[in-house]
Amino acid sequence: MGRYAFPAPALIYLLVFMVYPILYTFYLSFRGANAVNFLSGTAPFVGLDNYRAVLSSPTFVRTLVITLTFTICSLAFQHVIGFALALFFNREFPFVRLFRALLLLGWMLPAVVNASLWRWMFSGSFGVVNSLLETVGLGGLQHDWLTDPNTALGAVIVADVWVGIPFHMLLLHAGLQSLPGSVYEAARIDGASAWRQFTSITVPLMRPIMFTALLLGFVQTFKSFDIIYVMTGGGPAGATTVLPVSVYNLSFDYFQFGQGAAAANILLVIPLLLSIVYLWNRRREDAA
Amino acid sequence: MRKRWGLTAVGAVITAAYLFPVYWMVATSLKDRTDIFSSPPKWVPWPPRFDAYHSAVLDNPVMLRALGNSAIIAVGTVIMTLLLAAPAGYGMARLKLRWTGLMMLPFLVSQLVPTINLAVPLYLIFSRTGLVNTQLSLIIANTIITLPFAVILLRPFFLRVPAELEEAAATDGCGRLGAFWRIVLPIVRPGLLTVAVFAFVMTWGEFAMGLTLTTDERVQPVTVILNQFIGQYGTEWAPLMAASTIVALPIVILFVGLQRLVVGGLAAGAVKE
Repeated sequence: MGRYAFPAPALIYLLVFMVYPILYTFYLSFRGANAVNFLSGTAPFVGLDNYRAVLSSPTFVRTLVITLTFTICSLAFQHVIGFALALFFNREFPFVRLFRALLLLGWMLPAVVNASLWRWMFSGSFGVVNSLLETVGLGGLQHDWLTDPNTALGAVIVADVWVGIPFHMLLLHAGLQSLPGSVYEAARIDGASAWRQFTSITVPLMRPIMFTALLLGFVQTFKSFDIIYVMTGGGPAGATTVLPVSVYNLSFDYFQFGQGAAAANILLVIPLLLSIVYLWNRRREDAA
Repeated sequence: MRKRWGLTAVGAVITAAYLFPVYWMVATSLKDRTDIFSSPPKWVPWPPRFDAYHSAVLDNPVMLRALGNSAIIAVGTVIMTLLLAAPAGYGMARLKLRWTGLMMLPFLVSQLVPTINLAVPLYLIFSRTGLVNTQLSLIIANTIITLPFAVILLRPFFLRVPAELEEAAATDGCGRLGAFWRIVLPIVRPGLLTVAVFAFVMTWGEFAMGLTLTTDERVQPVTVILNQFIGQYGTEWAPLMAASTIVALPIVILFVGLQRLVVGGLAAGAVKE
């Protein structure tokens, strides 16, 4: 029995500080909790009212569309660029290790620092993105990127792509390293072009690790809060209000704790379902 | 093999392009107002001016205290994470416990949980125990994020420890705890160091917990103060970039100093997925 003393403290820790809060949020989502009755614990039971209020609010659909746009665009660019870089830096040449390490920096820096520097990059007056556009003759596109509701989401996506590229590059590079070199040699002898080798050997063999990177990337990106909150606060005019920002607003700006909890549960359940489907498929593939 | 310097040149251009935003942050922090608002932009901040570092950081007690707070919170979180994760990782890797799969579940599920979902219930727990607006509350909160990551990262390190070593220790009368402490932990030291570095990096950059669980400037971490700074300073880009550079600095130092270890540890973890 003494053996169970090893994992016990960590398990109890997570039960108290993670599992209990999740269950409490579930409980709270059925209560009419607000600033008045929250701390006293006398919030009345309201059934599904909070979910109804959140789901039927006109902003919810918009929030969900913005969240998915942000997640899918950001993830797609991160993955494709990360894959391209992983392929390029998988070759052997002088200083390649140094470059690979330097390319991880954006991912390691604090999100608030990244948000702060991208605010400056995208600034309307004297921001360097505008200067670069001018330099390459696209001065007509100059813009106050973060204060225009039409471009704010795109600008935030660019910043998040920059942050997320290294994660995909790292994972996919580790995958590339584990591919058997002999298969490529055989393909070369058979006269397969580089593109043919990529589509017929690399992609099929890399599929499991690509799925892993995409799933983990989706989960991470879907719950992104820091970079958006600091860059735009969800604005202008709600143009970048993703689900996590709206959960924050409901609970910490409007003190609608019940509705905040309902929104939080919606935020949790989408990646959870996706992960279950993924694991289910993988188990079936492994069994086959 | 023939050296392929052509590829090196392309690699250098790609790397430089990727790191340009970081360069621009540092360059801006070393300029004065007229150079920042010049068109076309001044690409090299020469001669460098350090005024912004004085006004934003060195002569700013709020920022200095916040840096101290973040250091305390990050070091505290590293210690707490190691104390909890090392025995847990060992137990679930080596002790042939029943229900190991079930016990791993909370650690895996935690990756899905948005920080913001935990904020309200944690605030309630901390306010009932008198921990709101303490650094301890943020150490506890950050460990929720680092602990699962640490256990998952450490497990493969423990799995690789040769069983004969443990058996030898056990027959020498070390006992299980003695074997763990004196034989196993020294072997997995690289894993512990990787976990420590990552727990530090994650906690130093953590924002949502700090934002929601502390309201008192005297205990707030530097990320929250930097965000507040952004609101206050608006378009005073030199002090803003100076403060951002200082907040980034510990991560860059760790990254440069421990680069091989961190990249190696991460790659090992990535392949294990």
